[in-house]
Amino acid sequence: MSESAYGAGRPGLGGEAVAQQIMRVGLLPLLLFLSVAFMAVFEQKFFGLNNLFNVLRSTSFLAIVAAGQMLVLIVAGFDLSVGAVIALTSTVMAKSMAALGVMFPEQNAIIIPLGVLCGLGCGLFIGLINGLCVAYLRVSPFMVTLGTLSIATGLALLLTQGIPVYGMPDGFVTDFGRALWFGLPTTVYIALVIILLVWFVQTRTRLGRYLYAVGGNLQAAIVSGVPARRNVILAYVLCSMLASTAAVLMTARLGSGQASMGGNSMMLQSIAAAVIAGVSLRGGVGRVELVALGALFLSILTNAMNLLRVDSKMQVVILGIVLVAAAALEELARRRRGHV
Amino acid sequence: MSDVSGREVGRITPTAALVKAMLPIALVALLILFSAAESRVLSLGNLSNILNQASYLAIFASAQMLVIITRGFDLSLGTCVSAVSVTAALVMTGSLATEEANALAIVGGVAMGLTVGVLCGLFNGIVVAIFRVNPFVATLGSLNICMGVATMASDGRPVFNVPREFSNIVYSGELFGIPAPILIAAIALIVLHFILAHTVFGRGLFLIGANPRAAEVAGLPARRYVTQAYVLCSIMAAVGALMLTGRTGSGEPNLGGNLTLESIAAAVIGGVSLRGGVGGASSVVLGALFVTVLSNGMNLTRIDGNVQMIVLGGVIILAVFLDRFRSATR
Repeated sequence: MSESAYGAGRPGLGGEAVAQQIMRVGLLPLLLFLSVAFMAVFEQKFFGLNNLFNVLRSTSFLAIVAAGQMLVLIVAGFDLSVGAVIALTSTVMAKSMAALGVMFPEQNAIIIPLGVLCGLGCGLFIGLINGLCVAYLRVSPFMVTLGTLSIATGLALLLTQGIPVYGMPDGFVTDFGRALWFGLPTTVYIALVIILLVWFVQTRTRLGRYLYAVGGNLQAAIVSGVPARRNVILAYVLCSMLASTAAVLMTARLGSGQASMGGNSMMLQSIAAAVIAGVSLRGGVGRVELVALGALFLSILTNAMNLLRVDSKMQVVILGIVLVAAAALEELARRRRGHV
Repeated sequence: MSDVSGREVGRITPTAALVKAMLPIALVALLILFSAAESRVLSLGNLSNILNQASYLAIFASAQMLVIITRGFDLSLGTCVSAVSVTAALVMTGSLATEEANALAIVGGVAMGLTVGVLCGLFNGIVVAIFRVNPFVATLGSLNICMGVATMASDGRPVFNVPREFSNIVYSGELFGIPAPILIAAIALIVLHFILAHTVFGRGLFLIGANPRAAEVAGLPARRYVTQAYVLCSIMAAVGALMLTGRTGSGEPNLGGNLTLESIAAAVIGGVSLRGGVGGASSVVLGALFVTVLSNGMNLTRIDGNVQMIVLGGVIILAVFLDRFRSATR
């Protein structure tokens, strides 16, 4: 990975003790609490049911993608292509559902599963390309996923010519994408299940351990007999598949397949959520529950700025500053712990 | 211009020589292939057109190369270009611009643009070198900040009425029959080559990228050099941004667009290694020419823009294959 590796740590800046205390308590819960408290004082509309649903929905989408991004970051990789995978999945799924709808009219039991499978297939395909190139050719993940970003975006635009794809079964949209189960949006349940699954994999399975091992110290992992290549490929495939899953949910909610879905902002936000949650870009570190909190924080921040009518251009600037500040704090804490 | 490399290059083996010659060969092959499909590709007008277009990309790619050599990245390059373009255009069209004092306005605009570039580079450099934030995250942050600045300053609309004289100089100007963009790019690349190959700072960058520990042990002021590399990168990006502003005749908040990715792609295709420590002005020229010839040829043979994106993606992946092969033979 491209680390800024010049020079080992030197005595740090002042205020490190403070930073260490904050890191011990956990910066994210504190930030979340502060932002919610701030909204309670300044903007009651935040707590409206519809608004909370919106926040939860966007958190769910982002958390699923960011969980995948985290898996790749843990093996010291990168995935720039998640946004493009979302666009490709969305258009392929909508196209295939529309085509299946013509072949098997009104038979939702066939149309929907097959359509979703076609969509997830795109994730599998792109993930395999990414993983194989990174694992077997040891080329920079940045370049490989930059290439697949370009390819997937091109394919999505080629398929649709930039026009939204309609023709998905109504049931898919009304009974799934926009539906509520027990009073909560369906997406939220699916995101929770995915986060629990990833958490289980990370803490209770060999795959999870191996991913940390490969990212933490590749040489040591190989010497200890960890099948490094297979695990790296798996991380990339899982990442793309999770992005695809998010795309299925987003498309179901929107009601049409769009090549503009995802895009660069989803890619950047997924990395931002992971970094804010303390996932190290050097690999070997990252917990999915914190990444979900990171996604929640970013969604609340965006939503709060919308409600407070912060200019959308200013919002971009604030997100950038938050990202850099979070990364700088993490770096300070890391140096304080002495893992240099 | 010879290729500059920070690594000790031993005896040049035939395979290594072949790998080194691969890109020029591919470039020629590409030209022949396209000219077979469309005879206009090799016309004099089109060739000078290719050179003209490649000079912009070469500037951005060499800016990017400076930080890639130190194992860095500059994701903010594209939005920095937008911010420079907008702020420079605002100054040029602002209060300074009167019928007789356009010269003053132009100088002010150029100064403004370069200042924005320096500020952006300083931010990146300080965050990366002093705070030790991963360059990806640091420049991702400044990407957002520059985008915000560019759209806020311009309200998201192009800034029109950039003085015609400015375009006359940097876009349609000529000296000894050489168009201004090519001339500016050539000067910038020669200066860059000199810095990289013949100054302590330039050699230091290669060492920092190739072996950070060694650089530190050797007593190089790594933090200062890396900061300077980011500043220099943004200044070059600002120069390119001013040239583009002259070409469009307006300050555009979306000018940067895909420039970040294109600049990284051109640099890597040219042979700049993302593992740091390898690069040179000639690599960037070749990379920029290759990407330009590819897109020019596809345009002339009327290949769909979306297919072009797919092809570019494939070429990028191919280029990293090649990079892998190249470093194996080195």
